[in-house]
Amino acid sequence: MAHLAADGILYHFGRRMVLRGVSLAAGPGDCQVLFGINGAGKSTLLNILSTRYRLQHGRYLLDGHDASKDAESVRGALLYVGHHTHLYGHLTSLENLRFFADLRGISPAGEELKEAIAAAGLAKAMDRPVRGFSAGMRKRLALARMLLIRPSLLLLDEPYSALDADGVAWLNARLRDYLARGGTLFLATHDPERVAALSPKPLRLVNGRLAEPAAGSDAPSPEPLAVPSSDPGETATP
Amino acid sequence: MILHAAYRIAWKDVVGDFRRRSTLSSMLFFAIAALVVFQAAFEPDRKEAVKLLPGLIWVTVLFTSLVGLGRVFQAEEEDGAFEGLLLAPIPREAVFLGKWWGNLSLTALVELMLLPVMLVLFNVDAWAVLPAMFGVLLLGTLGFTALGVLLAALTQGARGRETLLALLLLPLAVPLLIAGVQATAALLGTGGEIAPWVRLILIFDVVYLSLAPWAFGWLVEE
Repeated sequence: MAHLAADGILYHFGRRMVLRGVSLAAGPGDCQVLFGINGAGKSTLLNILSTRYRLQHGRYLLDGHDASKDAESVRGALLYVGHHTHLYGHLTSLENLRFFADLRGISPAGEELKEAIAAAGLAKAMDRPVRGFSAGMRKRLALARMLLIRPSLLLLDEPYSALDADGVAWLNARLRDYLARGGTLFLATHDPERVAALSPKPLRLVNGRLAEPAAGSDAPSPEPLAVPSSDPGETATP
Repeated sequence: MILHAAYRIAWKDVVGDFRRRSTLSSMLFFAIAALVVFQAAFEPDRKEAVKLLPGLIWVTVLFTSLVGLGRVFQAEEEDGAFEGLLLAPIPREAVFLGKWWGNLSLTALVELMLLPVMLVLFNVDAWAVLPAMFGVLLLGTLGFTALGVLLAALTQGARGRETLLALLLLPLAVPLLIAGVQATAALLGTGGEIAPWVRLILIFDVVYLSLAPWAFGWLVEE
């Protein structure tokens, strides 16, 4: 499964530096959770790991593939479910999953697709266009993709948002199963209680750098309410 | 793999359009309305109609295409679907090809329906050259829609994107428009030789189709 190594990742939006040298390493079965205040750069880091954002500085390897040179191979080994579900409203659940599988060059049987949808608790909505789905149903369908492709790296950004209690239990059961099979999980959340069931390694993004909480303390430190301000003294060099 | 992915993206767009009954019906309605207005404004006799027809065909198709191109990324605006396409392990060129094929299919379908309507409305007896006229129109549409899809990607996040798209696309499409009008006039017997104009259309097609997929890949990176 996944062997991830990222070193010295820097990223800026215009003159605002968001990540200032993030280094990460993960192997099969690892579950790492990113905590941090709003605007700390959690989503930016996940976007870089998913290759959606191009590396501006640093190095990122997944299973030996360099994201700067071979982004397609990196994308082929991972699944990213972020704030958006990437679903098409005019397509049904079944069609959405088949379209997703087609773009990954896999051709699951109809039964396999139906099983994934049913496992997400959407059996009755299999042939309904996604447009009428609630946010929680959309989230479940987006997450059902991991049952189809079994990625070696799974990147989730606020996966518990919009899910009800059953949905959270379902997701955690799937994630435990995924980790037991040797998958690698990176997850960003503001919800330490829900993610605690996965016994994750907590990481904290502070001022664009990654900090591990002190040994013996799994709980993240209390988060300040203020979002980071753009400090003129710490802007990116033009 | 590239072609299969592109085919699936195009399939998704065409199926989506038929289900929503949005782009195709808007394009058809616009095109027929434009033709009726032209007919009422010029009231051409048969002789004048043959002379006017090449220009009218191409101008109508050009403006009708703008209706379709303005909506080419409409399905992708919903719930980050465009980001989903970019996260697929396929080259950016495959995404471009798929979007282009989808738009091309709808535009070609409109052209196919438009030409007979035009001949009837303007009372022009050119049924014998109808397939050739469609061929020339399709040839021009290849390059025109490729350029249009690229510019639609460029303007998709902009405010007033449809105006911006028209402002960018129309000047760049003028050479293709001139070549298309001249080639169609040659088919109807009111112009010179057809071969040089078809060659010119082909040159534009090759240029636009070579540059647009590459430019698209560069454009969508963040």
